[in-house]
Amino acid sequence: MSNSKENVRNFCIVAHIDHGKSTLADRLMEKTGQVSERDMEEQLLDSMDLERERGITIKLTPVRMFYKAKDGKEYVFNLIDTPGHVDFTYEVSRSLKACEGAILIVDATQGVQAQTLANAYLAIDNDLEIMPVINKVDLASARPDEAARELEDILGVDASDAPRISAKTGFNVEEVLEQIITKIPAPKGSESEPLKALIFDSYYDNFKGVICFVRIMDGEVKVGTKIKTFMSDKQFDVTEVGVFSPKMQVKDSLSAGEVGYIAASIKSIEDTAVGDTITSVDNPAKEPLSGYKKALPMVFSGVFPLDGSKFNDLKDALLKLKLNDAALSIEPDNSAALGFGFRCGFLGLLHMDVIQERIEREFDLEIITTAPSVSYKVYKTDGTQMIIENPTHLPPVTEIDYMEEPVINASIFTPPDYVGPIMELCQYKRGVYKDMVYLDKTRVELKYTLPLNEIIYDFFDSLKSRTKGYASFDYEISGYQRSDLVKLDMLLNGDICDALSIIVHKDKAYERGRQIAEKLKDVIPRQMFEIPIQAAVGGKIIARETVKAYRKDVLAKCYGGDVTRKKKLLEKQKEGKKKMRSIGTVEIPSEAFISILKTDNDR
Amino acid sequence: MAGIYVHVPFCKQKCTYCDFASFPREIGKAESYFACLYREIEGRAKQYPSKIIDTIYIGGGTPSVVDAKFIAGAIRQIKKCFTVKKDAEITIELNPGTVDQDKIKTYKSVGINRFSLGLQTGFDDQLKRLNRVHTAKDFLLCCNMLKGENLSADILLGLHDQDLEQVKKSVDLALAGGVKHLSVYALTPEVGTPIYTDYLNGELLSDDEVADIYDGIREYLKEKGFDRYEVSNFAKDGYYSKHNMNYWRRGEYIGVGVSASSFCDGRRFTNTFSVDEYMNAVIYNKSPEISSDVIEGDDAKFEFIMLALRTTKGLNVKEYNKLFDADFDIEYKTVLDKKMRFMERDGENLKIKDEYLYVQNDIILAFMKN
Repeated sequence: MSNSKENVRNFCIVAHIDHGKSTLADRLMEKTGQVSERDMEEQLLDSMDLERERGITIKLTPVRMFYKAKDGKEYVFNLIDTPGHVDFTYEVSRSLKACEGAILIVDATQGVQAQTLANAYLAIDNDLEIMPVINKVDLASARPDEAARELEDILGVDASDAPRISAKTGFNVEEVLEQIITKIPAPKGSESEPLKALIFDSYYDNFKGVICFVRIMDGEVKVGTKIKTFMSDKQFDVTEVGVFSPKMQVKDSLSAGEVGYIAASIKSIEDTAVGDTITSVDNPAKEPLSGYKKALPMVFSGVFPLDGSKFNDLKDALLKLKLNDAALSIEPDNSAALGFGFRCGFLGLLHMDVIQERIEREFDLEIITTAPSVSYKVYKTDGTQMIIENPTHLPPVTEIDYMEEPVINASIFTPPDYVGPIMELCQYKRGVYKDMVYLDKTRVELKYTLPLNEIIYDFFDSLKSRTKGYASFDYEISGYQRSDLVKLDMLLNGDICDALSIIVHKDKAYERGRQIAEKLKDVIPRQMFEIPIQAAVGGKIIARETVKAYRKDVLAKCYGGDVTRKKKLLEKQKEGKKKMRSIGTVEIPSEAFISILKTDNDR
Repeated sequence: MAGIYVHVPFCKQKCTYCDFASFPREIGKAESYFACLYREIEGRAKQYPSKIIDTIYIGGGTPSVVDAKFIAGAIRQIKKCFTVKKDAEITIELNPGTVDQDKIKTYKSVGINRFSLGLQTGFDDQLKRLNRVHTAKDFLLCCNMLKGENLSADILLGLHDQDLEQVKKSVDLALAGGVKHLSVYALTPEVGTPIYTDYLNGELLSDDEVADIYDGIREYLKEKGFDRYEVSNFAKDGYYSKHNMNYWRRGEYIGVGVSASSFCDGRRFTNTFSVDEYMNAVIYNKSPEISSDVIEGDDAKFEFIMLALRTTKGLNVKEYNKLFDADFDIEYKTVLDKKMRFMERDGENLKIKDEYLYVQNDIILAFMKN
């Protein structure tokens, strides 16, 4: 088998969520004989349980395939999978850097969607060759001609010979394989140049240390090569190199154009940041590859162990997750109500959800997450400025001159029928209308600027429900704007519960306070005494609800045979209590902290 | 001192709320059942020869539904096999409508000196809905036959569309019958009973409504000279149930018959719930027990607390310290700090405040160690 660069193709697949990316990837692997049809588990690439359940791809997974083309030559395909959700734009850009081309899938029944656009533009920005594919042509509602026209009209890509396929049935997938060869360029770069390898992902292996997923741009790396990175001074001896097929497979060397992994007994993840460039010590490259724009966390939330004694376990779990998730930020936090924990930064709500679930599943830890917040700029009367990610840290009102909050540029794509309801929603969320573009007769793009703190609650859900699921949404942070913000405190039995405090716009404080108080009334179980729930802004009570005391919890009878039964019942109740946190004298179920999120229904 | 409980697993018809071991269709097996029961009594006496019996309780089912000679036989057998104190309290449960003068005569002849009547409610439409065998009038007739005896009655709370006035009238009926002891139980709908369906459909009273009626009736009974001495039990002075008090003191008791539970020498054990299985076991000299647990350490301590705090006298701290060679106030300092506002201390006795007796689970839970 020839292993020259001319026969290598590095590509990724980008698509709107659910347009069939993982299914096509599975089919490509099957057709190239990487996996037999029989052994194949659905959607191989989505290896994390969580990914499979949610139908999303989160981490990057490179796969190497061999394909014997119709021209008689054998080719090596390196497929680097990309996440499909807007929260993970950062990770998409990471994988794109390692490729020469991108397969752009469009669902023939839905046409071009927001994420199709966002990912296509990302690919174009990274100088990738776009290879359109029209999927799901087997469905009765497929409109492949229209999808092709949308690709040309909206994206300006030539879709005239785009393969029309069904990834599900395997129909016409061979055409995709052939076009990968003709449409996607072979990698450039030279083996004789000094080593330049782009780290596009990494994870920690207990035996081998940090495993770097790399794309070799120039040069060659093999076992024994002394390497270093541009961001760190430390040197390492390569202990193993290999490729993914899709499991890790040891090789003698990796050379320019190839995608694979490097292990070098690297103990600390800080020494090999994703986006950094690896070079050799003996013959170093002069300058690094252009790395990635660092993804900034946008949404911040407190993460606390349900059982306070598990603080160190939680710390270990978060640090391990951070290894291959640079976008996750962690810093120690301390709450009067919840004890010691962490303030974590996430790319968005989905990212937050995913991290939360991974902590619970992969590390078997029960956690409490507090309502998410964004980072605010506080300009104080003494002329200093501070950034607040935790409402608790907000200085007293008297010390604040004014505050700024992050705003986003939102693009909402929708059939024209739903323009009215969407405008209403955006207005309710303090949005400012910017523009409306008719993309074609069935699709409108609405542009708004919206405060980020209005988006992190249930904006996406509201959007979907108002448009019967038709609208899609994409955003980017556009900056900060001055805003009239206040801290909304919740008092339980007269005491402020710091973990429930949020920062809101002044005009919405009353409404939010009332909603949260109502919600808390629903989620806090009745206890032996009456519990007043109050919402307060600057010491002034603006809403009040009451959890009534319960009246009866005793078993009516307790005679000879009832003793054991009653004891068992109480033991069960005790277990239930362990899921509660005591805030002063009040017991609160752990989900209460996050449930206040779900109050944001615009009624 | 120890009590003996005798279970009679037969009745005329199942009440809609009943989930006890009671089988109307098996009443034909009564004769052989009692033969086995006598044998178990003999066996238990050999197993626990040193126990001195001061209370006997015959419950069910409906003990009065079977021939009185079987009941008399059981009492005689107990007296023969165990040491029974002369002034022992011997109670039998009766259902109005299943009793006659002859039966009462037989009961009294073997020393039964306390009669617990299943009244439940004084309203015939409610009785019918519960599938009870009797009417309010039957109850009065029964009381009349038992004039001058030590009588107790059961009353249920939380029935369909029940209100406080109705329960007061039911209490009045019981008092008119000469009852000196009342058990006022909140109905507990158990899975598998017909009334559970009514519960699921929201036809029964809510816990809050039950608590309101309970508070009202507690007040009413106080006016009538009844003390509440346990969550669900009220009595005139001198008429507390000794047999039941023994349960709450975590005293020993031996249960014989189908589904009967025992607590002896630190072991809790329960017999099978099936009449046939029970008889087979006894005939073939096998144990009829289906569960057996030795209770020790923190478990034993927790039982003691859980049971004692059901009573209005509360827990005797000195007794606890002696029993468990412990110092209660040190052992539970953090619990007491947190929960003392719901409790009160009267010398050696720690009790739950009157107004919190009906919401005691939360307090008791705090005493449970992990």
